[in-house]
Amino acid sequence: MTKKRQIKFTLIRTLVAISIALLVAALLIFISSGGSTFAEKLNATKEALKQMLIGPLFRMSEKKGTSFEAKRFTEILAAMIPTTFTGLSVCIMFAANQFNMGAEGGIMLGAFVSAMAAIYLPLPAGLHPVVAVLLGGLAVGIVMLIPAVLKAKLNVSEMVCSLMLNYIIMYVIKFLMNTYLADKSKGQIMSFPFRETSVISPIVDNKIFSGSKLTWGFVIAMIAVVLCGLFMYRSRWGYAIRMIGINQDFSKYSGMNVAGTIILSQVVGGFLAGAGGGIEMLGRYNTFSWSALPGYGWTGITIAILAGNNPYMVPLAAFFMAYLSKGCDLMATYAKVPAQLISIVQGVIFLFFAAEQFLSGYKQKLVVQSAQEEIARQNAAKAQEG
Amino acid sequence: MANLLKMLATPEFFWSIIRISAPIIFATLAAIVVEKAGFANIGLEGLMMFAALSGSLVSYYTKSWFWGLIAALLTGVLMSLLMGFFAFKLKTDIILVGIAINMMGSGGTLFLCKVITNLTEGKPMASTTGLITKSLCIPDINIPLISSIPFLGKVISGHNLLTYFAFLFCLLTSIMLYKTPLGLNIRAVGENPNAASSVGVSVLNIKYVAIAFSGLMCGFGGAFMSMAYAQGWSLDMVAGRGFIALAAQAMGGGECLGGMLSALVFGFAQALGIKFSAIGLDSNLASPIPYAITIIGLVIFALIRNNKVKKQHSAAALKN
Repeated sequence: MTKKRQIKFTLIRTLVAISIALLVAALLIFISSGGSTFAEKLNATKEALKQMLIGPLFRMSEKKGTSFEAKRFTEILAAMIPTTFTGLSVCIMFAANQFNMGAEGGIMLGAFVSAMAAIYLPLPAGLHPVVAVLLGGLAVGIVMLIPAVLKAKLNVSEMVCSLMLNYIIMYVIKFLMNTYLADKSKGQIMSFPFRETSVISPIVDNKIFSGSKLTWGFVIAMIAVVLCGLFMYRSRWGYAIRMIGINQDFSKYSGMNVAGTIILSQVVGGFLAGAGGGIEMLGRYNTFSWSALPGYGWTGITIAILAGNNPYMVPLAAFFMAYLSKGCDLMATYAKVPAQLISIVQGVIFLFFAAEQFLSGYKQKLVVQSAQEEIARQNAAKAQEG
Repeated sequence: MANLLKMLATPEFFWSIIRISAPIIFATLAAIVVEKAGFANIGLEGLMMFAALSGSLVSYYTKSWFWGLIAALLTGVLMSLLMGFFAFKLKTDIILVGIAINMMGSGGTLFLCKVITNLTEGKPMASTTGLITKSLCIPDINIPLISSIPFLGKVISGHNLLTYFAFLFCLLTSIMLYKTPLGLNIRAVGENPNAASSVGVSVLNIKYVAIAFSGLMCGFGGAFMSMAYAQGWSLDMVAGRGFIALAAQAMGGGECLGGMLSALVFGFAQALGIKFSAIGLDSNLASPIPYAITIIGLVIFALIRNNKVKKQHSAAALKN
């Protein structure tokens, strides 16, 4: 198939998968929307869908009409920061065929360690956030050694192991917070405030940017995207990771260090998740008060699937998910449809994206078309020669 | 410490181990059968969430726990068949299908719960705990003769109907796998699909049967969670039992008896955690114990397995 057709197919497939998910969403909204008659329900559905699809960027009001909302747009970009990191993390682990689900616990641990570094380490302003985030990343990278080494050496399922680790991380952090680290003067369980030197500041210090928490973390996330892309497609480690993902036996027989690469992919993935957690924590909050897993890890898995494990596509997928999530929140506020609709929409998109045979008939047609054209061209060339 | 031991040596403690293990056993059986058929279903968690919700809702609306249970089983089977459709027909990686089902099982069930019961107003954490009364739960069974045995009677008798089902199904599943043509086919498909197909076994059908069986077991597990273990459904109530079951399957060597024993080990760890918090230790310190034991168990199992393989290899080498 020609490259142009390949792109065309990918685009169409993406659109169809998203359309199906939106159709399911519309159906569910229709069922759940208020109103007694069919027409009323239809109208309510239309309003809810409008909020979900257009709301994240435009404010709709009866009087002023539709107007662009810079604040909401920056909020979406800010929401991309943690999920871009988990998306990259999952990309690298899944590319090596390592179904490590540790990004979820990883981002919480990273946030926790960075928060502790932000509270207890006295460091100068410029250096403090860097050290805190690196420590967060390193901590998770080290923890990910557990599933990675067990998989590489003993062939223990990294999936089960990492899932268990998520719970362990959550409970241990809760225990440490409750017992030792909480600021007892506060009503809720929360840590002492971070030192001012540790704050990751907004890119532009105005109401729109600092209100939405669009910090330099976003720029770092984009740099991380490029670095991960280079790592995966321009370095020998990235090549080894991808080859092992495609065919582990072949990689082994061709002399690659399979065990080392399996460990590498999960440690790098863990580092990314942890650093993302740290950046999110220092950019958005000023005390640590998470008491449950934040869910960014699972979103990260969706993003990695949407991006086809290609780091360069991660920002796009992360933007899409953040947009959808914002839309669902708005819909819940203005149209009284529960915001958890997003997890069903997310699941449906996920399923159709991961389905290899989805639209395979159409793909077959494109392949045949390309082949026929190729043959025709060859025949024409032969006729000219002859 | 002596205090703790005294608390543990009671029939109530052993009774609670069995009770806590029941949903894990159901999920473990689900994991065992699909594993025998050659694939992994990591969507057990989500399947149980859906089954738990539909069971509690139907039992509320029909005023009968029986229909609730039937609804939970149907939900489990239908959702698992949907998983099968995506995995076998559309060729989605089965692990990814499982992740998707788990995603939907977490937030999606809350969405459905809010929509169906209209419990949204002022309740950020909607649940059906307010709807389910004791009479809508699956009943407990007192076994006449056994309950009068001094210590053992209190441990074995007085459990929920589904708890007995869990242990019964261990036996039935084992018989199904090893004594029936269906079980033979399932194992054949898992071991060598091409060979199975060459003697006329429909690999696809067997895979569908296996995943539907796992859905059925998750239906039981979910019904137990929302209609016996707790009264009513609440967000993320399955709390990793579906994942623990995957570990129990691996630790038990993929067999029913081993799986059941591993599930009991996890049940023991959880019951221990509850006792920990009863004597004033932070429950957050006890809660991770089952998960940590899972990892340790997996490592021990892997070491034993690797040893066995090595021994077999060296034995084979000596023969030559």
